[in-house]
Amino acid sequence: MSIIAEGYNSFETDKTPEGTVMFLPDPKAVIGLLQSGKLKDHILLAEGGTTTFLAPALSMGAIGVLTLSGAPESHLGILSREFQIPCIMTTYLCDSDSRYVTGGNNGAHFAAVTAALNGKRVRLHCTDGDLGRVELLA
Amino acid sequence: MAAKYTQRYESNDNGLRFQELTYTGNFVGLEPVPDGILGDRIMKSRAQSHVLEQVSEADVRVDDFTIPELNDLNNYLAWNIWDVLVMRATEGASGMIPRQEYEILAMMHEFYRWPELLRMTTDEVGVDGVIAIGASARQEIGTKVNCVHDWSIGAVGFGMGRCGLLALEVIEANDYIEESNTILKFMQRVQWGKRQDGWILNSQNRYRCQIHEPALLDKLAMLLERCEPGSPSHDQLIRFNAAAELLSFLDHFDCRLGLGDTGPYRLANGNLLIIRDLFCNEDAYHWSDVCDHENVPHCYTVLLEIDAEAMALEEIRVNDISTTFTRPKNYIPHVVGGAVLVREKWDTPMGEVYPVSIAELGPRLTGIQNATFKLYSKLARMCRRQLITNGMYVYYVGMILPHLRKAGTYDKACADYQLWEIDQRISNYYYDITKRGFAKTTVPNKIFSGAGYLPFGENADRRRSKYLWS
Repeated sequence: MSIIAEGYNSFETDKTPEGTVMFLPDPKAVIGLLQSGKLKDHILLAEGGTTTFLAPALSMGAIGVLTLSGAPESHLGILSREFQIPCIMTTYLCDSDSRYVTGGNNGAHFAAVTAALNGKRVRLHCTDGDLGRVELLA
Repeated sequence: MAAKYTQRYESNDNGLRFQELTYTGNFVGLEPVPDGILGDRIMKSRAQSHVLEQVSEADVRVDDFTIPELNDLNNYLAWNIWDVLVMRATEGASGMIPRQEYEILAMMHEFYRWPELLRMTTDEVGVDGVIAIGASARQEIGTKVNCVHDWSIGAVGFGMGRCGLLALEVIEANDYIEESNTILKFMQRVQWGKRQDGWILNSQNRYRCQIHEPALLDKLAMLLERCEPGSPSHDQLIRFNAAAELLSFLDHFDCRLGLGDTGPYRLANGNLLIIRDLFCNEDAYHWSDVCDHENVPHCYTVLLEIDAEAMALEEIRVNDISTTFTRPKNYIPHVVGGAVLVREKWDTPMGEVYPVSIAELGPRLTGIQNATFKLYSKLARMCRRQLITNGMYVYYVGMILPHLRKAGTYDKACADYQLWEIDQRISNYYYDITKRGFAKTTVPNKIFSGAGYLPFGENADRRRSKYLWS
């Protein structure tokens, strides 16, 4: 198993969703994905750990979520648990020492993680109480 | 593995740690304070007064707090804010709603404006009336007189509002003492009336919010439908709960005011009951028109029966912002019963609150999903200024709205006190909060390190005021 990224696990689940990572930079991209009818093909990647940004995607049945910030106590962490949508938060790359810093200038970190994950086919592993893992699929 | 959560209620138990971070605040040089039951115990032990102990009705009737009491409340609320919010603070920018910006403006606005509104309300209904506002929550569901709103009066309006103004260097530590007293007394009286166990916060009583009268709980327990995990009814209930919770967050601009948990209540069969109010349509907000169009009521109350033994529950917290957290984290697969009730409007009498069977939730779920998408599309079209202004209203008006409504002083607040106007000082601060990272870095650091909650001077005169009482 090739684990390329890890982060806070929102909640423990045996679900192992697979899909192509899609970075969603703004609300237009969220609406566009919903209107494409391909929501369930993708693991969604968002910068923030708030709920509102991904609201309609959660409501319409997103299969898995990655964020670049936030924690299980964040609104998105809470809602992913309620929807039982596997969610890994404050995701970082395993082959890099770069980490998210609360209140810091995270632009370069976000860009690096996004570049490494966007478009990749992955599977999420969320059985651990604390750590969620992102497996790269061939 | 057997459930161990009842150990958390033993007097010498220190609870689990939900996070690795620790808190310092105004206790530089002392051992850092952790989260949870142990943190509460340490904070109480450092108090200079008795205000953090169980208080009596005679205590809450006293007109104001002493300086040591004010400082103890300031320190405890600062820790409590850290306890419930420090991990949430990692969530960064919304991508949609400039929440940090609207939050800090609203908090500061609250500190400036709430004292006269809360004093007017106390004058109108008396101390008994303020206590009765809190007590009303004991016999109602679907009421916003709840943990998060009551906590917000002191923690947000006084605690974080004062902290923000100190950080902006527009007030000093000994300013607005009388106003601080007005805010905190109002909070204490409402909380005391609601809880009636002498504590004013859930964290002071091992994160329990067991406020409802037995007669109401008995009625609600009779409505619970079996829904075994994996069954269609379980899926339906869980999807409904999640979708309604999401809309409640969205309608409240991504803040926790849309959600209100109480409990955990132990049922006759040993399972735990969480009572969850989900405020999906707040008619005070103009953007809620999309909820009206989808016939979404003011509040859906979801009852969740949790099999604590099957879950091997180790700890359950209903924290002071009305949110339930457990260890293990995922309680959803262990929900074995549930029910949904509807309160159409905020003032619908309790006798007219009605249940909806789980099998009949489908059309209501569709309405929630439609309203969510419409509201999202509406918010996506709002400019930054509109989003910040609306978010400010959700905090500044929304946090005391249920108390003013219950007291019957909302209309007076609007007509005579210009409730919906924004103080000119706050309007001017709008241009300052984005400078030098004030909203996104300075204030969060002051709040979550605890360094920004400066104490009142030991010899300060508690009558000190800068308010221009009309």
